[in-house]
Amino acid sequence: MSGAEAGHGLDRRTLLAAGGVLAAAGATGVASARVLPAAMVPLVGPGYRPVDADERGMWQQMARVEEEIAGSNLVVQDPALAKYMQGLIAKVGGPAAKDFRIYLVRIPDFNAVMFPTGFAVIFTGLLLRMRNEAQLTGVIAHEAAHFLRKHQIRQWRDTRTKTDLFAILAMGAGVAGGAAGINTGDLTQLGQFGTILSLLRYNRVLEAEADAMGVRLLAEAGYDPRAMAETWEQLIAEEKLSAKYRRKRRRRDISLFGTHPSPESRMADLRVSAAEVTRPGVFYDARRASYLAAIEKLRPTILDDQIKLNDPGASQYIVNTLAQDGWNGLLRFHEGEIYRLRNRVGDDIRAAQGYAAAVRYADAPADAWRWHGIMLSKAGRREEARAALTRYLAMAPNAPDAAFVRQMLVS
Amino acid sequence: MRRLGFALLVSVALTGCVQTRQYADTQFAPPSGDYKLLVMRPDVSVGSVTTGGLVEARADWTESARAKLLTALRAQQATRGGNVLILDRRDSLPGVSAETIAELERLHGAVGNSIAVHKYLGDDLPTKRRKGLDWTLGQQAIALGQKSGMDYALFMHAEDSFASTGRVALQVLGIAGCLVGFCAPNIGGAGQFAYASLVDLRTGKVVWFNVLQTGSQVAGIKFGDIRTDKGAAEMVERLLGRMKPGREIRRAQRARS
Repeated sequence: MSGAEAGHGLDRRTLLAAGGVLAAAGATGVASARVLPAAMVPLVGPGYRPVDADERGMWQQMARVEEEIAGSNLVVQDPALAKYMQGLIAKVGGPAAKDFRIYLVRIPDFNAVMFPTGFAVIFTGLLLRMRNEAQLTGVIAHEAAHFLRKHQIRQWRDTRTKTDLFAILAMGAGVAGGAAGINTGDLTQLGQFGTILSLLRYNRVLEAEADAMGVRLLAEAGYDPRAMAETWEQLIAEEKLSAKYRRKRRRRDISLFGTHPSPESRMADLRVSAAEVTRPGVFYDARRASYLAAIEKLRPTILDDQIKLNDPGASQYIVNTLAQDGWNGLLRFHEGEIYRLRNRVGDDIRAAQGYAAAVRYADAPADAWRWHGIMLSKAGRREEARAALTRYLAMAPNAPDAAFVRQMLVS
Repeated sequence: MRRLGFALLVSVALTGCVQTRQYADTQFAPPSGDYKLLVMRPDVSVGSVTTGGLVEARADWTESARAKLLTALRAQQATRGGNVLILDRRDSLPGVSAETIAELERLHGAVGNSIAVHKYLGDDLPTKRRKGLDWTLGQQAIALGQKSGMDYALFMHAEDSFASTGRVALQVLGIAGCLVGFCAPNIGGAGQFAYASLVDLRTGKVVWFNVLQTGSQVAGIKFGDIRTDKGAAEMVERLLGRMKPGREIRRAQRARS
């Protein structure tokens, strides 16, 4: 490329930035090029410690944050599960495999966060939605990539550079305008808007990087790299159903203002990237059994947390998605619970059917028998109700309402 | 702690000076004589103000400022007769678990937030009118006092920031602009902010609370530097030096004189 051409390209870009900001705001689907997994090399080595002053300052502040999170009573106390998740991040952690820490916190939301010093916080709501180890490891790989690519400090430096530039340009324009007798206020505001948009765009670029590197780390660890796209597919469908129940349209952020790329574009990019790193002829094990074993103790709690949000659309989608790998007593019971809490016309019958289906499985929780008994009793089937409630008491003799149920059985 | 700091920071007006605003329990008499003061993990952060006006934390500055502030605090309290024990980590107090300290810190964070909202941000509570400072950490604080044998606990937070070369240059440009009619003489950016909260461990009450803010609207002009011995002593003196007794105590003093 000749110098003149390069200069021309730059001019055009400047023109676009200055004049076309509002036009760009109207066009929501600003396409950005996909980040290639092969280009994503780790930027930190084992036992990484920051050297630069800005990064050292960031790390120092984070020490106290980590202490606060580690000591929070939201952290799930399950040493076996903690060890399991630590093992997963070690598999996809690249050179920093041994340096990561994971905290699982009891919040019924789909979310995970990586902090700049290499500790991740994973919400139980995310654990609930994962169908197998490959999907969970995919999310963890994405978070690990944030650390391996030094995203937080790069984000900070980008913000610093752009706000510096904006301050200098605004002041310079003001002084120049003052000398020439022009008020530059409007232009400065447009510039500020452009700076904010540019900061958000950088954030989306980093998210795309983490997706691309995550796919690669996942494949290298022997998991099916398509698991990450599956996760997004599930999330999109869940949001749609949740919105439909509330008679609303799914919230779609204008991508120009988003800190993350839209789920749709992430899913699309992840699919292409996954195809790129998939090795033909290799059998990928999703390791569903080991995942279920690891979360077995926690699953009733996190299912219950989700149902109690009273977001029937999302809850139903989650239960049905998990049931694609086979129904069981726990899932059937919660299916009944969703209807009982939704409480629309006919939902009492649907709930009763859910409880009745649940108790046919050996793993039905005690509460399934309790509600099954109550529903039977309401329907006037006294003998069957008695049998179900007796079973409930046998399974949960110390339940808070045990004395009350015993009294019911006597009278 | 950070959130509380932010709420208080919003409450103090941006003026080019040193200002403090303290509140005390009506029955508060400043500690004197042979008392034992427990300083709860002082939260210090020092940073540099970028050209664009953001504060970037600096680890080395923070560490030296923290050490200097603690030395200054010890010296200042000794003049009143106080014995100071500084809690460095949550688990450094023998016989008291890290969780107990963590819970007390969080409780103080919540109570302090309430003080910030209802005393400093102007949202007055009718139930607390004319009652001085009327907040308590309750039984947990009393239990800590009994276990540790300390009389008071001090929660302290301090921030300081310095304009970078770029910020100062920008300020110079802003002032130079006045000659051509574009005047930006006060872009500001650097300054100090601190608060201290004194809890009586015998009653559990927050007996005294003070907020300190120093700064100028002209980047490059400073009122102290807590990275130096002198600056640290200055901040401690401004924050804790002039503890006013509570209203009842002042009235009794006036009656006597």
